[in-house]
Amino acid sequence: MLSSIKEIWRYKEMLRTLVFMDLRTKYKGSILGFLWTFLNPLMTILIYTLIFHTIMRVSMPHYLGYVFVGQLPWNFFQTAMLAGTGSILQYANMVKKIYFPRQILPLSIVLSNGINYLLSLIILIPALLVTGVSLSWHLIWFPVILAAQFILLYPMVLLLSALQVYMRDIQHMLVIFLTAWFYFTPVIYSMEMVPKRYAWVYDLNPAKPLIQSYQDIFYYHRSPSWVLFAWVLIAVAGTFVAQRIFNHLNRRMAEEV
Amino acid sequence: MDTGSIDIQNLSKRFRVHQERNFTLKERLIYWKRAKWTDFWALKDIHLAVAPGESIGLVGRNGSGKSTLLKVISGILFPDQGTVNVHGKVSSLLELGAGFHPEFSGRENIFVNGTIMGLSRRDIKERIDQIIEFSELGRFIDEPVRSYSSGMYMRLGFSVAINIDPDILLVDEVLAVGDARFQEKCIQKFYELKALGKTIVFVSHDAGAVAKICDRCVWLQNGHIVLDSGAAEVLETYAEKGDEQYATAES
Repeated sequence: MLSSIKEIWRYKEMLRTLVFMDLRTKYKGSILGFLWTFLNPLMTILIYTLIFHTIMRVSMPHYLGYVFVGQLPWNFFQTAMLAGTGSILQYANMVKKIYFPRQILPLSIVLSNGINYLLSLIILIPALLVTGVSLSWHLIWFPVILAAQFILLYPMVLLLSALQVYMRDIQHMLVIFLTAWFYFTPVIYSMEMVPKRYAWVYDLNPAKPLIQSYQDIFYYHRSPSWVLFAWVLIAVAGTFVAQRIFNHLNRRMAEEV
Repeated sequence: MDTGSIDIQNLSKRFRVHQERNFTLKERLIYWKRAKWTDFWALKDIHLAVAPGESIGLVGRNGSGKSTLLKVISGILFPDQGTVNVHGKVSSLLELGAGFHPEFSGRENIFVNGTIMGLSRRDIKERIDQIIEFSELGRFIDEPVRSYSSGMYMRLGFSVAINIDPDILLVDEVLAVGDARFQEKCIQKFYELKALGKTIVFVSHDAGAVAKICDRCVWLQNGHIVLDSGAAEVLETYAEKGDEQYATAES
């Protein structure tokens, strides 16, 4: 684990290059280019609001603002998981021909999606103000929650990226799994709407305290709950396990990609 | 151990040759414990010590294990048995421009490729003029790499790899692409690096190039070392008996 961190540190310039490359190539060749970073979640959020607020009559104050707050970090969560899982195969050519610490590939995808999320905040803040949600000092928690999201994502993406090399179903299964995961996370509804007897299911979901923490600081103007930080501890322990499995799978990676 | 040395003990490397590849979960479950592959030992019991500043050539037929050996030395492949100790910064010219991104310009790709090889942006900035000059790409350096010919692509990849100031240089059959004049220039560059005391491991089918660059030479066949001696002697024996030995090994 320690040696892995040292390796990553030695290759930090490569990490930077990969993050930069991922951000630049994402929209290269498209006419609207970087605007898609904003347009894509904006459209999704408008559709959810139309369906759940206008048609299904979810009655929450400032519903559009509520969905904004949860959907943007969920989008980061989902795209980082999907793209991260495919990251080693995506760079198969490099894996086969050049030596470098391969955990840099999934890490770079998590980082570039995190930067994309930060950029999407440029529309979140004005959108909140327009929909009537004010801002408060609780936003100082934001960097902590963002860091928690990285720590939660990294072990999962690290493990899945290595498994994907040997079992190509993973990504297909993940697409379905993430759809279910989204609906079992309070992004477009709040926990008050969930019947009490099902609430325990949500306690198994690390994305729930994560998304709720963002809602706490942006929407409810309160400090996040300690539950998120309990999950962070589990994720740190999980990183050790994921790194061990990754090291094992790494041994034949150049032959199998 | 000194910087620039390679010490290989007892090295064996096995590949799985898949009859049918089970990439999907369904196949994995159905063929559980009935995995369809046979083992192929690409390298068997290799002992090789390279001293700092030595230039060593690897010769042998296709499939004799030369490229596999280079990949194990560079850390891309892991040994199945034995140990490999490499001291110093390694630059591998296994496939030129492997990390290039087609949409980026040549100049941007110098940074991409350079950082992949472990250089910092500052290191690259110091060397970029030298790299561009060596590549002879001129104004094309700011064009996207996808518009390059294979020769231009190779020249750029070579220029980056050779200018990262390694302790150990691993070269695999890369001179084949360029024209005669550029090849000559590359060989000159190898001389320079040799004079600077760099360690070079050089794989080539071109006996002339090996003779020019290497003092010592290793002849590999079917994953074994047949002969490890002075370059002139090995090249001569290989030229005489290479095909004959190969024929007996095949039958």
